[in-house]
Amino acid sequence: MAAEEMGQISRWLRLVFALTSVLFVMALAISPVKDSLREWKRYKRSYVRFAQARPDTKHLLADFNPEIDQIWIPDMGVVDRCTTCHQGITEPSLLDPSVPQPFRAHLPIHHRVRDWGCVVCHRGQGAATEVIEAHETTLSWEQPLLPPHFIQASCGTCHRADLPETPQLDRGRQLVTQLNCVGCHRLQGVERPDMIGPDLTNVGTKVSRQWIYKWLKQPRTVTDNNGNTVVNGYDSEDSLPRMPQFRLTEQELRGLSAYLSVQRAKPIEPYHFDPRVAALDKQPDLADQGEVRFRQMFCSTCHSLAVIRGGETKLIGGDIGPELTKVGSKVNPGWLVAWLRDPQGYLAHSKMPQYQWSDEDLYKVTRYITTRLTDPDLLTGVPPLGAPTADEIQLGRRLFVDKGCASCHMIEGVTPQRDFGPDLSALGGKNVSELSFGESKIPRNLIAYIQAKITNPLSVNPAARMPLVRLVPADIDAVTTALLSMTGTPSSSGLQKLVVPRAEASFRPTGAFNRVYERYKCYVCHAFNGFGGTLAPDLSYEGSRSQRQWLISFLKNPQTLRPTLVFRMPQFNMSDQEATTLADYIGLVLQSPAADPSQADAKPFTAENVVLGKQLYEVKYQCQSCHTIGSTGGYVGPNLNTAGNWLTPSWIEAWLRNPQALMPDTIEPHRTFSEDEIHALTAYLLTLRQSAKTQAARPAAPVIASQRGPESEPQP
Amino acid sequence: MTARAFVLVSFLVAIVSVAGCGKKSNTVAADPLRGAYDSEADWNDPQRVIPLNYQQAQGKRVFYVQCVWCHADTTPAGPSNRSNLKPVPPLMNDGGALNSESDDHLENIIALGGSAVSKSAMMPPYGQTLTRNEIQDVIAYTRAIAQPPYQPPARPGSQYTIR
Repeated sequence: MAAEEMGQISRWLRLVFALTSVLFVMALAISPVKDSLREWKRYKRSYVRFAQARPDTKHLLADFNPEIDQIWIPDMGVVDRCTTCHQGITEPSLLDPSVPQPFRAHLPIHHRVRDWGCVVCHRGQGAATEVIEAHETTLSWEQPLLPPHFIQASCGTCHRADLPETPQLDRGRQLVTQLNCVGCHRLQGVERPDMIGPDLTNVGTKVSRQWIYKWLKQPRTVTDNNGNTVVNGYDSEDSLPRMPQFRLTEQELRGLSAYLSVQRAKPIEPYHFDPRVAALDKQPDLADQGEVRFRQMFCSTCHSLAVIRGGETKLIGGDIGPELTKVGSKVNPGWLVAWLRDPQGYLAHSKMPQYQWSDEDLYKVTRYITTRLTDPDLLTGVPPLGAPTADEIQLGRRLFVDKGCASCHMIEGVTPQRDFGPDLSALGGKNVSELSFGESKIPRNLIAYIQAKITNPLSVNPAARMPLVRLVPADIDAVTTALLSMTGTPSSSGLQKLVVPRAEASFRPTGAFNRVYERYKCYVCHAFNGFGGTLAPDLSYEGSRSQRQWLISFLKNPQTLRPTLVFRMPQFNMSDQEATTLADYIGLVLQSPAADPSQADAKPFTAENVVLGKQLYEVKYQCQSCHTIGSTGGYVGPNLNTAGNWLTPSWIEAWLRNPQALMPDTIEPHRTFSEDEIHALTAYLLTLRQSAKTQAARPAAPVIASQRGPESEPQP
Repeated sequence: MTARAFVLVSFLVAIVSVAGCGKKSNTVAADPLRGAYDSEADWNDPQRVIPLNYQQAQGKRVFYVQCVWCHADTTPAGPSNRSNLKPVPPLMNDGGALNSESDDHLENIIALGGSAVSKSAMMPPYGQTLTRNEIQDVIAYTRAIAQPPYQPPARPGSQYTIR
């Protein structure tokens, strides 16, 4: 090869070298260029431009930082860079909806955003610096942003007690408890109650095989005009049957009904009514009289009945006990009498109080229930079942465990399967890849999965044993929220410290008071120091509020203080001694530190005080907008006609000073009365009395006393 | 030739890698109620559901505890006290009566009571019962459910659009 030719080649090479060098420089430039075009930097720059266009530029850019912002909460394992782009999140002036995202401020909430960051509530990937990675599911991150509709779930992750700010979560938790999900699933923060479904050891003495068959097939006795099983949309009255619907074949129905109908370990002792009661049979309106007593005793506070109003079937009444519309066609009359006299004799954990029945009342009410609360068509469609055969019983016994009946119901000698359903106590933190969607066409995310599972358990798993629970969409969302809040045991001790536990309240009195308290199940409706039901007033400070004599007469004959209430205290036909025991205990023990009797008695109430008080009540403060005196006034607050008989002076004064100090939940507004005004108003309210004669209401007039109580109480 | 192809390929790679970081996925339009914190049915037309944000939802909660008894015709406990009162209190969704009042004035009525603003003394003061935030929440809720709809006063908001 000649030397000239070599020069030619080297020129080519030079060109290649030159090009490669240029390329090399460009390749070096890619990285810085890419870096300066990063998504978060664009947001940083546009925030500066945005702030410069606003009148409060200086304020908005006071602590501007061109780098990545990060909130680090080591205890929670949270690295939160959301504020890198959401830069105006804590600027009150950027709250307006016209401010473009991501710069808009967060609405005021209870937690400081600068301390807690965003992902603690909104989930998502806090460490990400790109919009999609931060907000959505990616290959490496399966906890996308929680839709705002379900965000209360995040409150529940730390706050295990109900909060007033989270109604959807509270409703969901209530439903999860009410529907007895805990019978089969392990759930976070829901304890297994003593009794989930009724103990079925003696169910054969209570109902027939035909009824059991029908109930297992369709656990709803009330249907509307069109034969639909949804009554009332059930939404307003919470009247869900606690028993869900299982998918059972004809053979399984026969087996289970056979097995259950032979459960009669403890036969019922027939009750012998006083012979004089039988004479009542001659009265044609016996069932009507029974209905009147049924109403007077306010059975409807706990039990509902279906009525047809304006062509629509509605359930009227409470949901503490079962709905009773057709109970006369369900239970054996002998069982009913034994049950009404002593519910705990049949079911030890029953919430039903033990009434003091006179034989006459018992006879009438039983007659009413067995003749009026019936439906001749209840058992139509049930095939002739005949006497249970040994094979059927054998099958039923096996199904009782296999189908999960034993997880909620007890039968002596039957051991339930442990952990029948999957553990759901960490469901809310599950990754999508851990869920099995089966053949279903639903979106692949946790919320869609939970909702599909609740709506129709078979949709994601055709072999599911889970029964069908019918819920309206709002309740499905509520249950979803509650389940999303269950993210398992905190993974570190630091996280554990952040959990706000539910207050463990208990009120376990002893002695004579406890016997009456347990007999009438006061705690089912009333709360004592945070323990008990919410249907009726909290009695934690009842001893400070009510005068002893008033308490006794109220217990003997409860008359409502709030006429608009549908649910009223049942009439227990309490004996004098029981009422006195309760009143004495309440007066001594259930006292509020905020109401001091010694202060109220210090200054005497004069006639001038009364005149001034009346004027303040009627003119200056117009209390009559909510309270009734005489027959005029509002009915938001209690009727004050008997305030002088009912309330103690120290309670009225403390109440007027600050109602929320005595009862934190009361809606009575906290006003600023002067001490003189408080004294005058108290003086006026104490003059509102009714004589003992008008106050003592129509007595129950038991004609024939009960022969022997199931639990012999000494009579005064 | 091979060198030219190499250069071309390198350029393409560089362009694609620079452009790749700006990629956007097309997100599906979300259900407006899923995106809302809570919702409330229009009082006059139950079929129309109004999405509420966090603040309005907190206002709804306070409303149904404190205000509903006199400022609505149906209450969770049945009959309303509204018909009992004279002057009759406005319904909380009555835009005709409430839209013309400024937020500040409504806050004063709620916090100080009717008698402090020359209205009926039957409206008690809630300044010590509710926090300022809660009162503002209730106002936000009122605005959300108002019929005719509430139009906030014009703001110089248009100039703040992002450039």
